[in-house]
Amino acid sequence: MATRTVEVATGVPGLSAERAVTWPKRTKARLSNGLEVILAEAHSIPKLHGELFFRSGNAAVADRAPGLAEMTATVVRTGTAKRASRQIEEDLRRIGADLASHAGPDTSAISFAGLSEFAEPLLGMVNELAREAAFPEAEFERERRQKLEEVKLERTQPGFLAGERLRKVLFGAHPYALVSPSEEQVAAYKREDLQKVYRDSYTPENGLLLVVGDFDSNEMMRGVEKVFGAWAGKKPESKTAAPPANPRGRRVYLVHVPGAVQTQILVGCHAITRKHPDWVKLGLTNSLYGGAFNSRLVMNIREDKGYTYSPRSGVHALRQHGYFSVSAAVRNDVVAASLTEIFYEMDKLRSVPVPVAELADAQNYLSGVFALGLATQDGLLSQFSTVALNELPDDYLETYRAKVRTLTPNDLLETARKYLDSANMQIVVVGDRAQIESQAALFCELEIYDAQGKQLS
Amino acid sequence: MKTLQVGIESTTLSNGLKVVIAPDTTAPVVTVGVYYKIGFRLEPQGRSGFAHLFEHMMFQGSANAPKMQHIKLINSSGGTLNGSTSYDVTNYYEAVPSNALERVLWLEADRMRALKVDDENLKNQRDVVKEEVRVNVMNQPYGGFPWLDMPPVAFRNWANAHNFYGDFADLDAADLKDVQAFFKTYYVPNNAVLLVLGDVKVEEGIALAKKYFGDIPAGAVPPFADPSEPEQSEERRGNVEEKFGTLPAMAIGYVLPARRTADWCAMALLDQALHGGRAGRMHRELVQEKQIAVEAEGGIDDLFGYNGPSQVTTRIFHKSEFSSEATLAAFDAVVREVQEQGINADELEQLKVKWCSDYYATLEGGRGGSMPKYGLMHLLACFTLFDNEPQLVNTILDGFLAVTREQIQAAAKKYLRREKRAIVFRTPVKASEKEAA
Repeated sequence: MATRTVEVATGVPGLSAERAVTWPKRTKARLSNGLEVILAEAHSIPKLHGELFFRSGNAAVADRAPGLAEMTATVVRTGTAKRASRQIEEDLRRIGADLASHAGPDTSAISFAGLSEFAEPLLGMVNELAREAAFPEAEFERERRQKLEEVKLERTQPGFLAGERLRKVLFGAHPYALVSPSEEQVAAYKREDLQKVYRDSYTPENGLLLVVGDFDSNEMMRGVEKVFGAWAGKKPESKTAAPPANPRGRRVYLVHVPGAVQTQILVGCHAITRKHPDWVKLGLTNSLYGGAFNSRLVMNIREDKGYTYSPRSGVHALRQHGYFSVSAAVRNDVVAASLTEIFYEMDKLRSVPVPVAELADAQNYLSGVFALGLATQDGLLSQFSTVALNELPDDYLETYRAKVRTLTPNDLLETARKYLDSANMQIVVVGDRAQIESQAALFCELEIYDAQGKQLS
Repeated sequence: MKTLQVGIESTTLSNGLKVVIAPDTTAPVVTVGVYYKIGFRLEPQGRSGFAHLFEHMMFQGSANAPKMQHIKLINSSGGTLNGSTSYDVTNYYEAVPSNALERVLWLEADRMRALKVDDENLKNQRDVVKEEVRVNVMNQPYGGFPWLDMPPVAFRNWANAHNFYGDFADLDAADLKDVQAFFKTYYVPNNAVLLVLGDVKVEEGIALAKKYFGDIPAGAVPPFADPSEPEQSEERRGNVEEKFGTLPAMAIGYVLPARRTADWCAMALLDQALHGGRAGRMHRELVQEKQIAVEAEGGIDDLFGYNGPSQVTTRIFHKSEFSSEATLAAFDAVVREVQEQGINADELEQLKVKWCSDYYATLEGGRGGSMPKYGLMHLLACFTLFDNEPQLVNTILDGFLAVTREQIQAAAKKYLRREKRAIVFRTPVKASEKEAA
């Protein structure tokens, strides 16, 4: 509860007239092999940024092993039918390019950036990795060993442990519950499993290529057709897992890390996908609650009380489901006090309409920062990919700001009542049991786990 | 290769404040930065971590914009803001829709003119900073490795060797008198540069700078302690215990040549040969070929942004079955190879193309779209404060592109010497001890 009177500034210059925000034109095509292509020109620097997405990620193959799409992506860049690992890396450097292959819950992707003058060899490399990855045995073994160390390290990071536990709690038997494999599961990965994921997922019908940068779109489209046109492959069959049950009632999950000098709090609940009609409303509600520096939660537990450095809330949209979460790494002796404030601010948004001036501030914030991404190639790429991957309407970027501005205090009250349900929030705390158990137990029943995921009580 | 010319204009106001304008109307967005030439290197002795704590205090209120108003006014104008403290500069920056430019300049000028903070603000931010140190260092595996571990091992001058995040006792000892004294000494217009980038016209930017900053009185020229190091003549080693992680790690740092010399340019490219991602020699030899390490990377941190003793550092996380000495021997073999064989013409050409590409990326770098032109702002600020030459942003590439194979080999021999290096071992606590604890 804010105890300090907020003073206002005097003599602040007003805002001058806004300049129109114009998103660059997108040139779209679907090649005859099914590959969707979106290009946009941005001439800020003589470079381009791109990403080749496949609409299948870890969730699509979770029945085989957790993290299998990610492991596949990792090994993709280590060798092709034509080039060994060392050659790939040197050839990328030769054209001034950066490249990464990775996968998330819903997509696998090859992202790349390089000098415009070398666009053709760069697209050639992306094409080669997408079609002719060789999965060399020795590289697979080496990457698997690296992965083993990586998954061990993750289990020593409070942020990872909190996120993993919350996803398990929220998504239960759904693939979204699995954020990372265990050491045993990594040890059981087989090269053939990766190759099958690659064969099934890395196909033009399953693909989306986005390129933003310093080029002429017509010329680039011809280049893309030339490089990717002869590729063929079907979309994999998609399986939709049964929807996860929405956990009812509060519960605390304590992950015990002996000797932790701070507690990572993560509180969350089910929310919505990007396509949901409430998306903009929930985005604005979140921004007011804890999604911005100037938000209520940050002002309360950081600027007023000094409990934490970086409190934040966010709405995380996955393709099939979404969730809302609030995180804060706090001093061990204020775990209960922080949770109290986290819920207080939710309940306040559910009970009292947001003052009009505060709403206007939040609307300005959300619509202003939305346009900051316009200024850079990677900012544009990220906005365009969000629209395309979530199958949002073509004018989503152009109309978003107006949608934000039409919302009223009542819309926010309704949204908070619908989604920020403090009575049904799931609470994860990662820290030293001896220091925090009694504080956590004040909120509801407690389950205690160790960092390996074994239940202690 | 296509070259990039950034249009910039600069001037100095009568109070000594330097002003740099870089117009670009691509997007209706403007980025404003104020850099002060003081970082954690030269913070007061007995007050480790103070420069960073002070940076937090700059958001706590100024004469006409009380606590919370800086953040509120920027966010509610549709913008983002932050600040950061590094070795030799501290920066404050905002990206906003360009219709909020005057408001941002007013806010930055207000806190350059007069800080208005109280004990409650200081206590609040001291608590916040302690949680920042816990979340980034004390409660993280390999927290502070090697950026906080290396200085006390590598350096002898307190300025370079102390704990930059701050010992908690020093943070506790800091009081309001320290805050005001630091402000008065270093936060004067003649020790700062104002940068306006993006949707602004040159004349407009300069006129607004004069309007809002012109009447802030100049201060005395700040005193700067001498940060130079005594000549190092033997290898230095240190150990730090790793509380959470299970992999042994080490960092090896070599002292760098003075900035903007031919040797410095050669070292920068040599750094790329060694640490340039997966094509770099360290990764290739230690991770891919010998498979001793799971990670071997590093380099020169913020090449353009430091103005005192610094290092090129390699960080290695190695498999437990290899000893530290065996790992170090493999590292030494990579260094020896480049000292004895140099690099070939093809490798040098690759390094230069990549260097240009990375430089352009730095200029455009906008922290994932949330802070457009952050990279250009940072370079312009450092070239202005350290060199009084913002136009270097358009010419500095030339020095790197002129580097020869011979210079790289010579730099390897001259600077990558054992007696010029420091090594920090970050050693996991044994599993058994951990159980007992």
